[in-house]
Amino acid sequence: MAGANVVRIGIMSFAHMHAHGYASCLQKLPNVEFVGIADDDRSRAEQMANHYGVRAFDSYEQMLASDIDAVIVTSENANHRRHVAMAAQSEKHVLCEKPLATTKKDAEAIVEVVRRSKIKFMMAFPCRFHPAFKRLRETVDSGDLGKILAMKGTNQGQCPGGWFTDTKLAGGGAVIDHTVHLADLMRVLTKAEPARVYAEIDNHIFRGDFDDTGIITVEFTNKVFATIDSSWSRPKTYPFWGNVNLEVIGTEGVARMEMFAQKIDLYSDKTGRHTYEYWGDDVNLALIDSFARSIAQDSPVEITGEDGLRALEVALAAYESSKLHEPIDLLN
Amino acid sequence: MQRVAVIGAGTMGRTHAEAYARMPNAELVAICDSRLGAAQQLADKYSARAFADINLLLSDVDLDLVDICTPTHTHIDYIKAAAAARKHICCEKPLTRTTGQAMEAVRICQEAGVMLFPAQVLRWFPEFRKMHDLIVSGAIGTPVVVRTSRCSAYPRGTDDWFADMKNSGGVALDMIIHDYDWLRWCFGKVKRVYARGLYESNIPLTDYALVTLRFENGVIAHVEGNWARPSGFVATVEVAGTEGLLSYSSTESVPLTVELKAKGEQKAGVTVPESPVSKSPYYLELEHLVNCLETGCKPEVSAEDGLEAVRIGEAALKSISTGQPIALA
Repeated sequence: MAGANVVRIGIMSFAHMHAHGYASCLQKLPNVEFVGIADDDRSRAEQMANHYGVRAFDSYEQMLASDIDAVIVTSENANHRRHVAMAAQSEKHVLCEKPLATTKKDAEAIVEVVRRSKIKFMMAFPCRFHPAFKRLRETVDSGDLGKILAMKGTNQGQCPGGWFTDTKLAGGGAVIDHTVHLADLMRVLTKAEPARVYAEIDNHIFRGDFDDTGIITVEFTNKVFATIDSSWSRPKTYPFWGNVNLEVIGTEGVARMEMFAQKIDLYSDKTGRHTYEYWGDDVNLALIDSFARSIAQDSPVEITGEDGLRALEVALAAYESSKLHEPIDLLN
Repeated sequence: MQRVAVIGAGTMGRTHAEAYARMPNAELVAICDSRLGAAQQLADKYSARAFADINLLLSDVDLDLVDICTPTHTHIDYIKAAAAARKHICCEKPLTRTTGQAMEAVRICQEAGVMLFPAQVLRWFPEFRKMHDLIVSGAIGTPVVVRTSRCSAYPRGTDDWFADMKNSGGVALDMIIHDYDWLRWCFGKVKRVYARGLYESNIPLTDYALVTLRFENGVIAHVEGNWARPSGFVATVEVAGTEGLLSYSSTESVPLTVELKAKGEQKAGVTVPESPVSKSPYYLELEHLVNCLETGCKPEVSAEDGLEAVRIGEAALKSISTGQPIALA
């Protein structure tokens, strides 16, 4: 199985459900080997390892001391810093789940740890790899839309529950969970940095001690303005987990991307549900493939820790703005 | 029988004139437009009289209702003239160009004892009425977060008057005032407005605005106004509540599509989607107004509603200009 260019990867923690998506990609990709799983919860590590037919390590230390090349960190947001630091110390490359961290301090510490190490660190922003986004990016870069004036994005979803609503572990609720995807895509399209953030955020869907609703306005250094809806506003009966939609308004035209529009409508008396059955590309495959290639070829990663930090700053500023009812300047 | 004069023979003037002409308890008696030819042409169609000067019209013709369909910045002067002549008034949205003018209009009409009806026609669009009724009935539990979107190409009114942003207020006032009013109808008072837009960007025939409204009951609404599309019209609404989600798109509510093959010189065929209803929203709106005048009932939309919608639009423009959220008292 193991060849010269095969990258050996382990998963640190199955706390984040995206670990499942990554695990199945690790099994499918020819240029990686899915070695094993370590988890704070030893029984979860064993259960998942059994499920995927890989090794369950006793501890993170044991996995990091093994001959793996890299890890995917899918722990709770607040634990990313600790886990990335451990991996860096063991000189294992890292693919880190978003958001990068729960505080700016932790995010900057991750960027610094990576800078001082020899490891490759990649931020898991899989939306960048969707063919619809790639085409949108090409369209914008070709100048067909003219000059970009504004953007409108939504990353609305169902509430994932679990630790995602524990603000100590997640760093917040819907806004920290969802804002970063679109903030990142918008940075890529405009080739500019977020300069000013305003937000209205609240908790009126679930009335919990976490935010479930957020409308965030971002102004970029090149004066492009945009909004991001990062609410957990899809009800339990919604046919899909949510959406990633992005509209671009240019001087010469407009473009609309609905990332998960490639779907079949399924109406099932078995489940009593209507569901969207997505048939488009699996963005995680391209994400992990990119990560593995940059390791195998010793080339720069496509999405850096700084990218993760810039996107996180938008979410953190949104919380501050919503509290103060005023816009927050990011670049001062 | 209500005797009606329509002021302004542009797109909305023609739409309102047609509605009155078909209404059994209204009589379209005169059309006024500073371009007498345009007034005459429309008046001839309905055997009405044509005027170029509203004061001549008001002194010459026996009237119950003056319906103002002129460019926004001229509304206040026509309202003043009609109120002075003690005529009831229907006024196209936005009620006026500024909040100050709207307050003056409300006061003048109160003092004159005449009705001032702001033509916030969205309330008579059956899809928007249906959504309102569903929301109020509790179909989605307590409403929490709302998105509306109203998109078209840049409007080309008579003499391109929309292109003068100072006169029209641009998309953030002229276009999405529809949504401001509908949102107020559904969710009550607006507490705070934040907006970004191209109002002061001076890009010819392009305007775009993203407005966030915070209501006193906690609802957060995101309102998109789009005059940056190459063509076509799209309106969408989404309301998420504690127990459900309501979603509407004009592009998906199309019971009839006619597709014609290319003919003669044409390279491409033509596709025309239609969402026909037996009575147009404009007819329903004006029928309601005329019935209220006949029976002495209060219309469902008040002059204050028209004023409040302008207030939100003006706050959006101020927020675009200053970059700051605007609190509404």
